[in-house]
Amino acid sequence: MTTMKKWEIIHIPVKPQISIMDPPCVDVVAAVIEPKLANTLIRRLNQTSPLENLTHVKRVRKISVEEAPQASFTTYANSGINSHLSSLMLSNIDGITGFSEEDSQTVFSFMKLALKLTNSGPQLENAAVIVDPSVRKIISSASDQTHSWHSPIDTSSIETRCIKHPAVVTSYQPDANGAAVVSDENKRLDTDVSCLYPWKWMEHQQNTGKTCYFHPLRHAALVAIELAAARDKHLYPGSGNMLDHSFQVNSLTSSIDSPAKKQKLDFSKDKNDSDLKACAHDSCFETERPYLCTGFDIYLVWEPCTMCAMALVHQRIRRIFYAFPNPNFGALGSVQRLQGEKSLNHHYAVFRVLLPEDVLDHAPS
Amino acid sequence: MALCEEENSASTLSFMELAIQQANDALDNLEVPIGCVFVLDGKVISTGRNRTTETRNATRHAEMEAIDDLLKNWQDNGLSAMEIAGKFSKCDLYVTCEPCIMCASALSILGIRSVFYGCGNDKFGGCGSILSLHSQGKGFECTGGIMASEAVSLLRRFYEQGNPNAPKPHRPLQISK
Ligand SMILES: [Zn+2]
Ligand SMILES: [Zn+2]
Repeated sequence: MTTMKKWEIIHIPVKPQISIMDPPCVDVVAAVIEPKLANTLIRRLNQTSPLENLTHVKRVRKISVEEAPQASFTTYANSGINSHLSSLMLSNIDGITGFSEEDSQTVFSFMKLALKLTNSGPQLENAAVIVDPSVRKIISSASDQTHSWHSPIDTSSIETRCIKHPAVVTSYQPDANGAAVVSDENKRLDTDVSCLYPWKWMEHQQNTGKTCYFHPLRHAALVAIELAAARDKHLYPGSGNMLDHSFQVNSLTSSIDSPAKKQKLDFSKDKNDSDLKACAHDSCFETERPYLCTGFDIYLVWEPCTMCAMALVHQRIRRIFYAFPNPNFGALGSVQRLQGEKSLNHHYAVFRVLLPEDVLDHAPS
Repeated sequence: MALCEEENSASTLSFMELAIQQANDALDNLEVPIGCVFVLDGKVISTGRNRTTETRNATRHAEMEAIDDLLKNWQDNGLSAMEIAGKFSKCDLYVTCEPCIMCASALSILGIRSVFYGCGNDKFGGCGSILSLHSQGKGFECTGGIMASEAVSLLRRFYEQGNPNAPKPHRPLQISK
């Protein structure tokens, strides 16, 4: 274990083995253009030099140039792009280009919260905190519930979230060094972390007189998503009408349909997102309701497994921060790399947060 | 992934018929029409259909709904984790659309025996289309293309007949009043 002196945030790119310190370069052409030409130019550019692998890159950015506040800035890379550099430069997801000191501190404080959740139970568990970064507000938080599923689709869970089975909690001895144990003795003590050992449930011993069920799939991220959805329903009870349905099947099977038919069925999917991005989330006005978790971040102690990572795609999470990699089933770089799956209809940015040694030694208890 | 339209047994088709009924129920409730049934020892033990709109939880796919029911029922009947694992290992899933990456992972975690699905899912499919989770680690048998045209026509109806939940080209209006 290398000794870390300070907190650090590392972007986990969509393709493996690209060093942040030494990204490959590519030629880029940039120009200031008339704003009203932007649509035409982009259409032509998409034909002549499509930005493959870089679907999140914006070609045009509005910037304020002296004496011409409405000027636009067009840029495109040469064909055959596999440029990490241009994605670093042009991405519209905050943080890929680096974090301000203020933003970094926010990231660290939410990660501390997730670490605290991890250590709050009788055994180490994964923990998830969903956050609205625009107002720095916690939307939902949860740790694994593979052993403590209270009841299916219980709407009161908004209030009872994260409360463990009481009998279990009383037997728990708080361990001030819990987080230190997490990193140093990975193999010994993390065997109850759902995303690391998803098949462990089969060995679960049931206690008699239990008040809750076990559920092999209630990993922290899935529970946090469920709570965020329940909160949404609670805050915006009347507005079920803006869900788009592209998340499960965007276009239908290629085995049966002709491409022409597929086109027809391919639902426009990202319009809601852009419409809503500008909205504030803090109010209960129906029109300001965010679509699913669009614009929200999630903090996880361990890199999520494939199931959890895909759930976060479905729920449209914007950024994922995790502290420890998951060498067994990690789906964000360790084993799979879902953020690099082009076919998915939504792509989040992924970051690993490195913890300094002293945080590990004096973990919150 | 084997395609074996001609050798589908009568029971395979009848179970898929039930999954289609579930998908129909989803359609009637303005949900994406995908449905499924779990089968153990030749009997349907659980059904599910998409419930993402109602719950505003985009992970509430048909498979997840049916799995929750199973886990609750088995534990209400006093089954242990080991016994439940034993049951899953003899379970087959019939679902109208290829399980997505999330659901395919979930089915692998539960240790299900096999999956029969209707149409493929070329955006999210976890059983061959995007990832092949059925053939990695603790995988499961997977057979696609069963009553696929029925499954597709339901989905097509949903998207083409003016889905009331469709995103509007402009900022969504306040519909509920
Ligand atoms: Zn997981
Ligand atoms: Zn699914």
